[in-house]
Amino acid sequence: MQSDIAVRNLVKRFGKNTALKDITLTSKKGINIILGPNGAGKSTLLKCIDGLYRPSSGYVSVLNANPYTDAHARSKISLLADVYGLYDFMSVKDNLRFFGNFYGLRGDEAIRKTAEMMGELDLKQYLDAKVEALSRGTKQKVAFCRSMLNEAQVLLLDEPTAFLDANASDVVRSHVQEMAHDGKTVMFVTQRLDEVTRLNSRILVLREGRLAAETDAEGIYSTVFKGVDVSVRLARPIGEKAIEGIRNIVWKNGKRPTLIKVRINGYGEVNKVLKALIDCGAYVVSVDYAEPALEKLVFGGRK
Amino acid sequence: MNLQNASAVAMKDLREVFSNIGIYGPMFGVPLFFAIVLPVLTLYIATNAAPAAVIKLVQLPVQPSDIYLKSLAFTLFFAVNVLGPIFMTMPIFTASVIAADSFVGEKERKTGEALLSMPISNNELLLGKLLASFIPAVVLTLGVFALYGGVVDYLAYGQFHVYLLPTVPWLMMLAASPLLAIAAMGIVVFVSSNVKSIKEAQQISSLLVLPVLLMPFASIFGAAKITFSFMLYLIIGLAVADLLIIYIAAKRFKREAML
Repeated sequence: MQSDIAVRNLVKRFGKNTALKDITLTSKKGINIILGPNGAGKSTLLKCIDGLYRPSSGYVSVLNANPYTDAHARSKISLLADVYGLYDFMSVKDNLRFFGNFYGLRGDEAIRKTAEMMGELDLKQYLDAKVEALSRGTKQKVAFCRSMLNEAQVLLLDEPTAFLDANASDVVRSHVQEMAHDGKTVMFVTQRLDEVTRLNSRILVLREGRLAAETDAEGIYSTVFKGVDVSVRLARPIGEKAIEGIRNIVWKNGKRPTLIKVRINGYGEVNKVLKALIDCGAYVVSVDYAEPALEKLVFGGRK
Repeated sequence: MNLQNASAVAMKDLREVFSNIGIYGPMFGVPLFFAIVLPVLTLYIATNAAPAAVIKLVQLPVQPSDIYLKSLAFTLFFAVNVLGPIFMTMPIFTASVIAADSFVGEKERKTGEALLSMPISNNELLLGKLLASFIPAVVLTLGVFALYGGVVDYLAYGQFHVYLLPTVPWLMMLAASPLLAIAAMGIVVFVSSNVKSIKEAQQISSLLVLPVLLMPFASIFGAAKITFSFMLYLIIGLAVADLLIIYIAAKRFKREAML
């Protein structure tokens, strides 16, 4: 089956800086997570796919068209960029009407089309408010509603939950998953590992403008849990002898600890540690670890 | 070309300009002020301050002997040859301000990405943005010329019992105004990919007023006469320059300029 997005040997330069270096990828139906640290080129990649930037070399094809030169192709693509891109001097309603114009939505059609989503995101009260008066999170919600106007086949979402509260983030993610389920192609940019788990999909790791790896949640956690310290919190102290069998304890808060830190070399070891503790009569109340910076993760021997 | 897309962009840009008094206030206030004050000052100088002295300052086509006629000739000369070119700078300023806000403002306010991600072609985008700059520039110039012509005639009739305007060169100045607006807009499009701020774009395109402002000096010192043929050559020259500027600007225009 033909991919909705095909990128071949894409290079994008800004003056002397090369933001994307020879990227080749094809999308799969559903969610394609683009994971990478700041400056990896994630946003630039989305903008090339959306036709905002002309590739310095290589090519981008979306739904068999060149999105840079073919304006019509963009009617089937939707971009939620890292900046919300709303007009401050206009109300929420007028912003939606304005952008709706380009998809042939006249009058209040754009408002009606996004009404359900606005309800879910608790936005209806802001319909007449000027965008300049809204908080960053609310602007992001409006921008997400705007990205739903054209019922796009290809959705390009650049950290769509970055400034949202937990509830709104869940609403956005569940809609994204619904759209993926309906056969749409979603490129979901994030730098948060928890988002990766929640979306549970194909992951493309981008680093320093290159595609460093294609993996999935398991691949990510196999990489994350290499030499990482996991903190296990217990409801009540446990005897020193009970934890003798647990290897690699790097720290504990006393002789009868309620908190221990164990160095883990693979996510499977977490279960082993917990099992050992539970078998010794411990009551585990939480497991936590400091998520490593994405810059430090090594995928397939490539940092 | 989808004209609805172009008109949506033009309407949005117009609303944006007229939502900010910092933009439209000086754009309308200064010309309106000048349209009234400059003719009043001209007539005051011609009739009261130094009617005999001023006539020596300027190279009039005829040198009337009567003081009354000297004042009349000076007023007419000044209203057309000096004030006319000053008011010809209005479409340049107006078009520069709006075009810079329209093109570079998208970049400065970070709204360009959302706009460019819409299914709108470069030509539709250009047309919408150029219309948003052109229409107010031309309407304002028409209004200012009408007001300044009206004030001149009102004052002249009160003083000399004749109407001085319109004259043919004066009407041709009005006819040249849309061409000046187009040139200013073209320059903004031309520089929009190389400037970082609205002010920068405005300053560059406003440089176009310099040759226009040479006209009053040239006619005061007798270097040029603003006649029918002078204005005709100017209009033809501007039309050719506009075609060239717009052609090059449209060729050079890149979507990325607004990002």
